[in-house]
Amino acid sequence: MSEENWIEVGSTDSIEEEDLIRFDHQDKTFCVYRLTDGFYATDGICTHEAVHLEDGLVMDDEIECPMHQGIFNIKSGEALSPPACEDLKTYPVKVDNDKIFIKID
Amino acid sequence: MKNNIIILGGGQAGIYAAREIRQNDTESNIKILSEENLLPYERPPLSKDFLLDKKNEDDLYFHSIEVLKNENIDFENVLINKVDFEHKKLFSKNEDVYTYDSLLISTGSDNKRLSLDNNLNDDVYYLRNLEEAKIIKEKVSDKNKITIIGGGFIGLEIASSLSQLQKKVTVIEIGNQLMGRIIPKQIADLVQNTHIEQGNEIILNKQIDKIIKKNGIYEILLNDNSIIETDFVIAGIGSTPSVKLFENTNLKLDNGIVTNQFCETSIKDVYAAGDVCNFYHPFYERNMRLESYQHAQNHGICAGKNIAGVKTEYTSIPWMWSDQFNLNLQLTGICDDYDEIIARGNDINSGVIYFFLKNKIIKGACGLGIAGKVGRDIRITSKLTEKNTIVDKQILSDQNQKLNKLIQKQ
Ligand SMILES: Cc1cc2nc3c(=O)[nH]c(=O)nc-3n(C[C@H](O)[C@H](O)[C@H](O)COP(=O)(O)OP(=O)(O)OC[C@H]3O[C@@H](n4cnc5c(N)ncnc54)[C@H](O)[C@@H]3O)c2cc1C
Ligand code: FES
Repeated sequence: MSEENWIEVGSTDSIEEEDLIRFDHQDKTFCVYRLTDGFYATDGICTHEAVHLEDGLVMDDEIECPMHQGIFNIKSGEALSPPACEDLKTYPVKVDNDKIFIKID
Repeated sequence: MKNNIIILGGGQAGIYAAREIRQNDTESNIKILSEENLLPYERPPLSKDFLLDKKNEDDLYFHSIEVLKNENIDFENVLINKVDFEHKKLFSKNEDVYTYDSLLISTGSDNKRLSLDNNLNDDVYYLRNLEEAKIIKEKVSDKNKITIIGGGFIGLEIASSLSQLQKKVTVIEIGNQLMGRIIPKQIADLVQNTHIEQGNEIILNKQIDKIIKKNGIYEILLNDNSIIETDFVIAGIGSTPSVKLFENTNLKLDNGIVTNQFCETSIKDVYAAGDVCNFYHPFYERNMRLESYQHAQNHGICAGKNIAGVKTEYTSIPWMWSDQFNLNLQLTGICDDYDEIIARGNDINSGVIYFFLKNKIIKGACGLGIAGKVGRDIRITSKLTEKNTIVDKQILSDQNQKLNKLIQKQ
């Protein structure tokens, strides 16, 4: 793993528990989540239609799309409920000195 | 025990029921009988992304045939045209006989049709299934002026799609607002403004008197004597539950097949789910009929459980959406039984929601916003409704106060 792919997202207190923030990097959008057991990251756009998941609802380990209630598992990206059927890409996250980093390939 | 389970109608409710039965019952035979020679597919894109060529036929199917084979679910393309509930038999046009131990009726709904007093009935097009969507898509390709009769959800979605295909669209609505009285007038007006901004003409409070065809062009005469000239006519004037087959039987019908909260009909071992049902909702303590994606799925699942012997009440809070241009409209709960309305937001860019309360409890909500902007709050509203939560009106009306705090506390 090369170090340069870890991109700083912000400080850990920028995300409330059971919530998410949107993070744009170059021409891509990501969502970074704070769950009870840590931080996670996925693509920021629903796989069903091009809608930002930042406006979605985080419930336990799941993010529900605000457009048609497609549901994804935040940790695995798995599409759990239609109309979403294509999985969401996930990204490794690390926390260093209260700062969140995600690894973008 | 190994049973013969038949699912009549291979739409959304039918497929979800079939798979749920299999989850709970590995032995019984499960057979879906479907008038359409297509595996179960999603209808919402028919009026939207399918017309716009953003989705093709293959994108619409819920599952591949392999999934059905793996789960040992049979799918047969047949139109059933007679039922004998007493002897538990269904008959096709060719007199094929299907015998069941348990039957699920999930025949969906049919479009209401205009009745024109000349021979132009076949010149008016309707949209309910993939076949009709393909025909409309093909026929409008070389047309310019399109008239849509009926300003309900499906008519407006078609109007939005055809406008995006550079057609000149006119929508004629008999009522004094779009999408019926269930949608707050303020939201209907915002939708109407967007259609107008995008170039569609919206005519309210007008009825069709007559349609005449002259040299391949249609003249639609309205009740105020005005005339709309058009190249193509589509009607979206509502739908009725598909119950014709049962009209002369002892199955209890009243605006659809009457079912209890367990999807059971008035006849033993006969269940019903989806658009075709007028079902009892224990939460609202009344019967209702819904035509929505989420309902077809959840009601199908609930019927599947009950058929497989897992007694389950249907308590899902109603929810539906409509997408037009870049707008997403959502409805949750019931919006026709309230003593107070509270508004949240006034700009579609950040979302506008109307909450319907009765005795201080939220019963339903209707929201409109640029894609994605109202979904979270509407979803939270469903949860608050389900829990009969009394919410501070100040919080509801203030868009700066996040509603998710309200459910996290529960
Ligand atoms: C164009 C369109 C757009 C929509 N958009 C939205 C939307 O944006 N949001 C939303 O929430 N909902 C939407 N809906 C509603 C949603 O798709 C329906 O509520 C849902 O499909 C109902 O599922 P169902 O299984 O009850 O019926 P259906 O999916 O209609 O399936 C019923 C099936 O039964 C078959 N059948 C009927 N009679 C017989 C018979 N005698 N023998 C054999 N087969 C028979 C029919 O051919 C059909 O295939 C839309 C519907 C349409 C038509
Ligand atoms: S856009 Fe996310 S579920 Fe449809």
